[in-house]
Amino acid sequence: MPEPQTTLIRHIAVALDCSAHSIASLKAAAELARLMKADLTGIFVEDINLLRMAELPFSHEIRIYTAEPKKIEPSELERSLRLQAKSAKEALQRIANELRIEHSFRISRGMVPAEVIAAALEADLLVLGRSGRSPSCKKGLGSTARKALAEGKKPLLFMRPGFSAKEGPVLALYDGSEGARHALKAALALLHPGVTLTLLILEANPAKAVEMECELSEKLVPPDTLAEYYHLPPSDAKTLARYIRMAESGLLVLSDQMHLPRETVHNLIEEIDYPVLLV
Amino acid sequence: MSLPAQLPPEKLYRICDPEEFTFNSTAELEAPLPATGQQRAIDAITFSMGIKHEGFNLFALGPNGTGKQTTIMHFLGNIAPHAPVPSDWCYVNNFEKPRHPKALKLPAGKGCALSLDMQHLLEALFTVMPAAFSSEEYLIQEKNIREKLQEEQSDAIAELEKKAAENNIALIRTPTGFAFAPEKNGEVIKPEEFMMLKKEERESIEEEINRLKTVMQSIMSQIPKWQRQTQEKIKELNRTISSFAVKPLIAELRHNYESLEEVKEYLDSLENDIIENFEQFLEKEPEAREPFPGISPGSSSHKGVSFNRYRVNVIVDNSTTAGAPLLYEDKPACHNLIGDIEHIAQMGTLLTDFTLIKPGALHRANGGYLLIDARRLLSEPFAYEALKKALRTRQIRIESLAQLYSLVSTVSLEPEPIPLEIKVILLGERSLYYLLTQYDPDFSELFKVAADFDDELPADNSGKVAYAHLISSIARRDKLHHFDRGAVARVVEYGSRLAAESTKLSAHLQSLSDLVHEADYYATSANKELVEAGDVQHAIDAKVLRSSRIREKIREATLKNSILIDTESEKTGQINALAIYSPGGESFGHPGRITARVRLGKGEVIDIEREVEMGGPIHSKGVMILSGFLGGRFALDQPLSLSASLVFEQSYSGVEGDSASSAELYALLSAISGAPIRQWFAVTGSVNQNGEVQAIGGVNEKIEGFFDLCQARGLNGKQGVLIPVSNVQNLMLRRDVVEAVRKGLFAIFPVTHVDEGIEILTGIPAGEPESSGNYPPQTINGMAVKRLSEMAEKLRKFSASSEHDKE
Repeated sequence: MPEPQTTLIRHIAVALDCSAHSIASLKAAAELARLMKADLTGIFVEDINLLRMAELPFSHEIRIYTAEPKKIEPSELERSLRLQAKSAKEALQRIANELRIEHSFRISRGMVPAEVIAAALEADLLVLGRSGRSPSCKKGLGSTARKALAEGKKPLLFMRPGFSAKEGPVLALYDGSEGARHALKAALALLHPGVTLTLLILEANPAKAVEMECELSEKLVPPDTLAEYYHLPPSDAKTLARYIRMAESGLLVLSDQMHLPRETVHNLIEEIDYPVLLV
Repeated sequence: MSLPAQLPPEKLYRICDPEEFTFNSTAELEAPLPATGQQRAIDAITFSMGIKHEGFNLFALGPNGTGKQTTIMHFLGNIAPHAPVPSDWCYVNNFEKPRHPKALKLPAGKGCALSLDMQHLLEALFTVMPAAFSSEEYLIQEKNIREKLQEEQSDAIAELEKKAAENNIALIRTPTGFAFAPEKNGEVIKPEEFMMLKKEERESIEEEINRLKTVMQSIMSQIPKWQRQTQEKIKELNRTISSFAVKPLIAELRHNYESLEEVKEYLDSLENDIIENFEQFLEKEPEAREPFPGISPGSSSHKGVSFNRYRVNVIVDNSTTAGAPLLYEDKPACHNLIGDIEHIAQMGTLLTDFTLIKPGALHRANGGYLLIDARRLLSEPFAYEALKKALRTRQIRIESLAQLYSLVSTVSLEPEPIPLEIKVILLGERSLYYLLTQYDPDFSELFKVAADFDDELPADNSGKVAYAHLISSIARRDKLHHFDRGAVARVVEYGSRLAAESTKLSAHLQSLSDLVHEADYYATSANKELVEAGDVQHAIDAKVLRSSRIREKIREATLKNSILIDTESEKTGQINALAIYSPGGESFGHPGRITARVRLGKGEVIDIEREVEMGGPIHSKGVMILSGFLGGRFALDQPLSLSASLVFEQSYSGVEGDSASSAELYALLSAISGAPIRQWFAVTGSVNQNGEVQAIGGVNEKIEGFFDLCQARGLNGKQGVLIPVSNVQNLMLRRDVVEAVRKGLFAIFPVTHVDEGIEILTGIPAGEPESSGNYPPQTINGMAVKRLSEMAEKLRKFSASSEHDKE
């Protein structure tokens, strides 16, 4: 395994909102911070939408377990948000102390996606839950993740519960482009000894694909790496997602600067339910 | 009347001739003959063990040390191995009622097999269950069910969100629920902007939001139902998967126990329980950690306890038993008999389960024989009652005493009772048997057969050979030197002395065993190959010497005249009687002085011992018999005009027994007649109203006691002892006494009637009544009658003068 590229990432930001995804993000961010000797900033955004709504005259809240509408009191909402922030801060402190990493916590108020991205401007890596407190908890990306993607903020790590950034298998998409090389580099940096790196070579021409594999194994992938190579013609996001699922990899590492259309990459991120590192 | 002659030496000691034995030493003897002379007891044992009906248990009665246990063990040791091997018994969990563990009966050897099978099943479950529940098939099915729920929720909410968005209304997730708010350009409209809207617009928005709220409410109210349905589906899936995993394993077990209906039933309930509680096989071993500093939860706190429910507690394992079990319970406490339910302390509370049920002696001996010492049984609280209950109900029901009497209040069990098929043999003294028979109505119903062990054997050839075999087996068992035939003969003689009868041998095996060990010690000290007669004699003498302190003190006090015993002169109204002392098991005899005084009176004999309540009832009875004798002999024609008082001089601790009554009568006759008694004689024997002298106990010790005193003062050829003629058969005197008699230095007279005795004691004949009915004047009776007449006359005169004075 190559030396962790400590110079690459010095500062990691993680968006926290107390959802299951954000807890997974925090964990992954902390583990990466430790691996890369980076410091960690927790970002908590008080949703301005919520606060505004609370001030509307007819605002009612429907609680999950009682299903009874209840008038929202702004003061009560403020208190709830403070509690959430406190709880997020505590979670951050706990894990940071445990892993002995530098950390800070920031609270801002505003539209959540915009605030998160603004707060993470100085960060070398932004870690987000795939979906946070979106009302329907449906598959796919949440609003913040989507905005971060749309704004081209990189590198980006989308986490989801049930996966760890530490010691899990890694899958990288490779098509010979500069972006793909970049992604491969990042994947190698994250790879733990003894863990398999799956490389999905996207090339329609089989001969060329073999050539790429040779190049990879001879030049780009260190010889002591446990690497598995698969060939696949470039296709749409759904097909790619199906193949990736079949490979049962953990973290997906890819770039949107590949030969693959950017939209396909974004759709793939939307489709796939594994954690994704976009570089 | 002819006086009895003194006994010849050969009557005083029955010699056992070594030449009677056909062996040279006990090393030549092989098998022991444990029950010689106990045919009655053997018959009773055979009967009791042979009869299969309820209540025919056995009580072996006899003094301690008569070999009851050895005999019965030997007898049962021969029959038990041929009896069928009883079943194994196990306790297993009762899944429906855990407080009532089930008892399973299995053929011998199958109990441990079942336990092992269950152990293997558990191990297999730990592999099979996690494999089944981590299989792709299961995971996909479970995920599908869960995702369906998720989808139902998400879809419903997403649709609502979409509908709301169409009307520019945002669905917002609050910290505790959902809310709707009007939006503009993806942001919730500011309150001030909202207020600036037209009233109709505001109302329209509000109306729309209210409608959306209603829809949202109905979605929310569906969620618990969806969750419940999902849970049901997952449960059903789990049941299917675990059932699929478990069934083949249980089927294999069921096949092994095809013929055992109870086991199959148990396996059915076990299968259901495993299916219902499959999660426990999926849990990983939790990390060992102390819940409180310094308090360890114990090794069995997690996995052990939860899987105990599937274990098998084999309480009776007869896999290695040959025939019926034969058991002697040394400590028959209640819990040792019927078993116990133990508890383990866990974090300050006492917990138990069926694996902590401990078997008792009744479990282990079930189907066979159980020997219990009756005295120990009765001295253990509640043990006798528990045993009776088990025998009466013919089942073993384990009950915790503490629970039964509410001494502790903690979780306990009521295990299913186990049927009991057993022969119980109680071993005890006769007094215990008689007490139980008299006072316990249950006893006679439960112990219908009594094996009465004799304390004596006949001193014939069979008895002597039995002794030789016994010595041989003791020597072999305890690795002692063997005895030569002379030594065996000496032991036989000692046995006769113990039996206190020259024609009997003691069956007190303990005393014989002690003597054999002690004689072996002296033989070993002298580096002999075999124990010889001298060693046996040495052991007997040493034993006597060890216990001679009190006897020596009394003799010393007598020689110093602190205790007055005259062995030289002749005295009127004074005689040497013989008493037995038994401090600490060893008994010895010693003379005691009895004196009688007479005076004018109304014919009563006053027993001073009784007056001061130092005389026992038998002694008092003996003295009253004397009044009967005197009345019958001297008061047929005139009333007895005397009062006599009798006393044991220098007796400070009470007198019991009637063996001195003949001596008291001699003293009275001497006192009445005025004829002095020769003090160099001592007397023993009880007497009846006709003056016949009757047998007494301890004759050997009594004679030896007087002999020892006379020897200390110097034997003069006159000294001797008068004994009842019926005690001659009991004589087994010490060799020095026999030698003294042989040399004419000491004499023993067998007396049949007091008239013979008084003549030996005074030298004056008792006197037969003449044809006139009067006794010749120079006889004891004649002198007594004369004295009594004089006293009567005096009394009459005295009475007349006092009546005259009154007038």
